Amino acid sequence: MDHMPTHQNEHRREATFYWPVLPAALALAGVIVFIFATFGPPASSSGFVSLLKGLLGPIFPDYIAHKEHYRIIPGPGSWLFAFVLGMATGGYLGGLTLGKPLRKVPALWERRFGARPGLRYAACFLGGFLILFGARLAGGCTLGLFISGSTQLAVSGLYFGIVIFAVAMLTSRLVYGSQKGDKK
Amino acid sequence: MTQVLLGLFSGIAFGFIVQRIGATDPDKMARAHLMVEPQIPQFMMLAVAFSALGLAGLQAVGVGRTVILPTSLAATGIAAVIFGIGWGLCGYCPGTCWAAAGEGRLDALFALLGGLAGTALFAHFHEGIIAAIYLPTNQGPLTLADWVGNRFAAAVLLAAVFGASAWAVGKIWGRHSGHGSEEAE
Repeated sequence: MDHMPTHQNEHRREATFYWPVLPAALALAGVIVFIFATFGPPASSSGFVSLLKGLLGPIFPDYIAHKEHYRIIPGPGSWLFAFVLGMATGGYLGGLTLGKPLRKVPALWERRFGARPGLRYAACFLGGFLILFGARLAGGCTLGLFISGSTQLAVSGLYFGIVIFAVAMLTSRLVYGSQKGDKK
Repeated sequence: MTQVLLGLFSGIAFGFIVQRIGATDPDKMARAHLMVEPQIPQFMMLAVAFSALGLAGLQAVGVGRTVILPTSLAATGIAAVIFGIGWGLCGYCPGTCWAAAGEGRLDALFALLGGLAGTALFAHFHEGIIAAIYLPTNQGPLTLADWVGNRFAAAVLLAAVFGASAWAVGKIWGRHSGHGSEEAE
């Protein structure tokens, strides 16, 4: 491994930015159990429905009132929307105190597709479209179905979790190519 | 109002922690999916293991609210495939894209906008899609407790399996990279 010293150093520097796995997982579990105690199963994809309901409600009140999907999720004055706004705030505070500069285009993406931000933004729009379409069809996302569901021992959460990991791993191979260069 | 404040507080804590493990960084998420860095999947699996034990404790004292989502063989499976393609493509999920957008990542904002479009499209066709693929293969709200027979034993079993999986991910992912292995051993 002595032929890739920069990679090693980079990794050491990375390690100082981030929390170790075990305490981070304990902290997140503490938050999840707190949410179960004070609200119910945590969820984030429902926050998208709440936001849309709030945005579209005043413009198309009849449409929103008659569509089942908007009827079953509360509007933006709810825990669900407050939670995703909180997520954005928590991410902001995390970034503020981490001190690691952000890349406009991720390094792996740039190595494969170049530094054009437009292509990355288009791919993210498509990716975001797919994760929300899938999450709303299943009734939850990584948090609302996999984490919440598995925590409650729900078979739906375990089934969803196994398939999303497997498909995301396959997709990332296709998107980024094999990482054999990094393995040696 | 209390619920809004509780949601806000919970979201801030959640967003801060997932940012601190690197789950808002699409490079780190891609390296997790490419089996180069084990930390994010290990973090998720251990968080579920601890949460399942914590929730079993809550239920033992009669606190909290649970909602078991049904398993629809076709709908849950197809949804997971669509979700997995999107997750592998952009490296964000519905929660982390909010935290990453808050962190200042512009590509996450596009994922968020795409998410609103995906939500709007699904909501528009909700009635037809649910009737066509969700309901016919709906198995109901199955849980492991139904098979194991005892809720607490099932939670311990699940935590053990997730803990073992996190350990295995450390071994397998670590084998694929020079820098992962030094942490796995």
